Amino acid sequence: MTELIAEIPAWFPKAAEFMTFSPELAWVGTLCLIMLAPLAIGRDARMIAGLAVVGIAVTAFFTLKVMGIISTEGPKTGLTPDLAGGMLIADNLSLFFKMLLLVFLVGISILWMSVSAAQEDDAPEFFVLLIGSALGMSLMVSTHNILMMVIAIEFASLPSYAIVGFNKHKRISAEASLKYMIFGAVSAAVMLYGASLIYGFFGTLDVTQIAANVGPVLAGGGANQLLVGLAMFCVFVGIAFKISAVPFHFWCPDAFQGAKTEVTAWLSVASKAAGLLLLMRLVNVFCVNAGAEVLHGVAVVIAVIATLTCTLGNLAAYKQTSIKRMLAYSSIAHAGYMMAAAAILVDAGTVESFTAISTVLAYVVVYMLMNLGAFGVVALVESKNGDDDSITAFAGLGWTSPALAIPMLFCLVSLVGIPPFAGFITKWYLLAALGEAASGLYWALAIVIVINTLISLWYYMRVVVQMFLKESDKPAIEVPMSGTLLVNACGILLIVILVFSNPLKERADRYSAGLFSPVPTKLADQGSADSLAQSIPLDNIAAPQEGKHGG
Amino acid sequence: MDQHLISWIVFLPMIAGLVLLFVPRELVKWVALFGSGLAFVLSLLLFKTFWGGDAAGVFGDAYGALHHVERASWITGNKFNIEYFVGIDGLSFPLFVLTTFVSLLACLASFNFDSWKINKGIKAYFFLFLLLETGMLGVFVSLDFFLFYVFWEVMLLPMYFLIGVWGGERREYAAIKFFIFTLAGSVLMLVGLVAMFFYSADAVAKYPEMATSYHTGAPVTTGTFDLIELSTNDAIQKYFGEASTTLLNVRFAPLMFMFLFIGFAIKLPCVPVHTWLPDAHVQAPTPISMILAGVLLKMGGYGFLRLCYGIFPVGGEFWAGFLAVIAVISILYGALCAMAQTDFKKLVAYSSVSHMGYVLLGICVMTTTGFQGAMFQMIAHGISSPMCFFLVGVIYDRAHHREINRFGGLWLSMPRYGSMATLGFFASLGLPGLCGFVGEAYVLLGTFQAGPKFDWAYTAAICAAFGVVLTAGYILWVIQRVYLGSVREEYKSFPEANGREMLILAPLGALCILLGVLPKQTVFDFMNGTLNLLINQIDSVTQVAMAAAGG
Repeated sequence: MTELIAEIPAWFPKAAEFMTFSPELAWVGTLCLIMLAPLAIGRDARMIAGLAVVGIAVTAFFTLKVMGIISTEGPKTGLTPDLAGGMLIADNLSLFFKMLLLVFLVGISILWMSVSAAQEDDAPEFFVLLIGSALGMSLMVSTHNILMMVIAIEFASLPSYAIVGFNKHKRISAEASLKYMIFGAVSAAVMLYGASLIYGFFGTLDVTQIAANVGPVLAGGGANQLLVGLAMFCVFVGIAFKISAVPFHFWCPDAFQGAKTEVTAWLSVASKAAGLLLLMRLVNVFCVNAGAEVLHGVAVVIAVIATLTCTLGNLAAYKQTSIKRMLAYSSIAHAGYMMAAAAILVDAGTVESFTAISTVLAYVVVYMLMNLGAFGVVALVESKNGDDDSITAFAGLGWTSPALAIPMLFCLVSLVGIPPFAGFITKWYLLAALGEAASGLYWALAIVIVINTLISLWYYMRVVVQMFLKESDKPAIEVPMSGTLLVNACGILLIVILVFSNPLKERADRYSAGLFSPVPTKLADQGSADSLAQSIPLDNIAAPQEGKHGG
Repeated sequence: MDQHLISWIVFLPMIAGLVLLFVPRELVKWVALFGSGLAFVLSLLLFKTFWGGDAAGVFGDAYGALHHVERASWITGNKFNIEYFVGIDGLSFPLFVLTTFVSLLACLASFNFDSWKINKGIKAYFFLFLLLETGMLGVFVSLDFFLFYVFWEVMLLPMYFLIGVWGGERREYAAIKFFIFTLAGSVLMLVGLVAMFFYSADAVAKYPEMATSYHTGAPVTTGTFDLIELSTNDAIQKYFGEASTTLLNVRFAPLMFMFLFIGFAIKLPCVPVHTWLPDAHVQAPTPISMILAGVLLKMGGYGFLRLCYGIFPVGGEFWAGFLAVIAVISILYGALCAMAQTDFKKLVAYSSVSHMGYVLLGICVMTTTGFQGAMFQMIAHGISSPMCFFLVGVIYDRAHHREINRFGGLWLSMPRYGSMATLGFFASLGLPGLCGFVGEAYVLLGTFQAGPKFDWAYTAAICAAFGVVLTAGYILWVIQRVYLGSVREEYKSFPEANGREMLILAPLGALCILLGVLPKQTVFDFMNGTLNLLINQIDSVTQVAMAAAGG
């Protein structure tokens, strides 16, 4: 053990690297500040929330600054001795996602202020957990290394388990938290097992290296194929858990129902988006480095899981009576749609025209607005209804409180994905990306998606029926102005984005391009080549591949 | 003004709809009337363009001579350029004017809103009504497929609410059924939209020397959403029609034709996807039934001509026999169903199924006369069926039931109304001299003409001609049961049709006669030019395809 440590060269990051990762540092600083704040300013919910927003704003400032640096100097890596390995990356994708998370955090904070702040005693703990999970999620999208991936997923998950159980007086909340944690622990174990198999086989946890070397192993057949295939699938399980892809989705409805609604809104978008963008990054790495034979196999696996996810999500949503469970299944279905984009794995030669990441980015942005709006209305209605989260609680809302029902309508119809709402334009980008890939698999996926759109119409409309077609003698709901403004802003933005979608698409295109992509040969130069060569059975490696990575 | 005329007409109702949200309750219907009235008056200006018809050369010398064109870039990606592209030609002009006309009358028919059984939300009603009008007008003038699709779907939500909130007892069921059926038709259209774009890109890449654009004269180099370009570009037509062009291993043209056809067939509607129509028409309030029958059904027929046959004539040839069977079944089955109804409104609804069967028959034989007949039938039905629905609405307002067998002798108690009713129903019957006759006669003639091309044409024409007898049967029978006979005690005191009702009935009745007596001057002159050019276009494409298949 001591010899191993001695072999690590003396290393300290350069000052510029601190600048590149200033958002993360500001993020950690905010966390510490909120933890310490009660000692100085007390536990007042509004003060803490204000502090959190200031911290978020500072982090956003640094994120924008780093974005400027990246746009002139290209993607960077740092705060790690292994600069080629992509342990921690600052590139367009990771910074974009940080920005998205920060904006979303502000939205969630506003929602929390209007719904929960009044009766909350543990505001500092809430914000530490919320912002902490956000940091974990942002790290998930900033790495190429399986070790860092595992750490980031755990970093995102642990606060999430706690925050789901934050409704301390409710049994259902504790149950949800426990279910979530057990499920998360098992998937983490599976993922770690897969990671250890991969490390044992390839001698590296750098995905770039693995992608470049996995082709001949998978093509070779026999025990190695089984082993590596299984290991890759195990790692995928960990990500699928975050995305809540079928069949790793069982935690999702329970956790979403038990948690406070603003937490549900947070998890339904942020945790899934993090998982999806991590998946997109892996897909990108594979597209750059792996051969066609690997790509096709991986694409089929992802396509099958995406099909299962959206179909099962939509079918299960159909019979729910709790609106939170229904929206939970709807979020599973949407994760399935986005995964369909991840199935677009095309050959390395055409990576420049790779639109899948751009599609997912645009989708995530609109999906955030739709879910923030929908869950926002649910939270507002629920808070005045004695925590009744059944769909029938919405009866007559359209006539008593149109200021809540109309944004809800916009969000729900947008979730179905029909014009004139932005959900349509993102679905269109998705279908166009599938169509552009132009092969039978993707056309089939496109047909699966449109048929799912049709299935989903039915259950989303159940809420609309309650709101507008049913009568109710309930009085109008009085809700705080900030909450109403928030959900209406989401609803109106959904129309605006449909009419003026170019800025969204341009940005999505820009941030999905120029991702950090190390050249696989560099690692070999730095001395790890030995371990790579030892760990891979030689008879399984085709000669050209040797040349590619040796020189 | 002149170059934005179409856009003004399309969006005026929506602007009026937004304005009426901010005016006092008693002014709402006047704002709505002003909006739809102004749209109608402006649409009359279009007659100036089309005056003189073919003799004046307004239809150009090839399919695709458009007027009042407005095109601007809308959604641009690095892959596609979606345009805001509207324009009008002989195919859309009559339907466009019909839409503004029927909408104006329907708006007038909504004026007794306050006396309806459900009379809450007058602002919402008229806002949705005007939004619906914008959607309908947009469908007829958009020449960019994406824009067409957006308008097509924009109609769904207003129609859903108009039926679901202000409809009859089973409104909820009827509304969701309408929504699901229509969306079911349009989801496959969405896949078609994606496929047509990417295949047209392939086409111009494969035959660059043939890809001369109708519009600029320069070669087309990218995929296109331009509906006219898709039908007139030689490269695209050649590639689409080839047997070697496949999607999911199915020949492209027939498959795409079906994808589009299903959507339009549901809208038209034809058996077996017609079941939404009796429910929606019967449950909808009278003005909405007028819109449904007068305009919405025509979108199916328009879609056939513009998209299915305009772009995939080879597919039309492929499916012709199958479509003729559906058409004949629709004619006969619709008529038989109408005969069996005891609900007055349902009878009129089923008569629509039967009448729209003629439209499909006239189109599917692909002859000039057939096309002309189908178009005329659409216009005629667009005048006679709103009249019939309004006639039913008038007595429903008085009697509060629609049981045919409980009526009798209404002509005697309401002579003015009875005369208009007889006129309207005879027009629907197809009495020579009234508008219904010309369309049916042309369709049957056109079907006979197709005898040399399709060996089933004579049989189809004979069966369809038998439908005329059935139509006469159920209409004469209903006139006898409702309007003739001795005066019944309970209906004796019914007030005569009032001024507003006559204001709606009189123009419709006048048009029934005018179109029947002067079909050339009132309709054919304004559309035949374009239809002839479309047929020429179709013939040249199918001949090329046949020659290719033969060689």
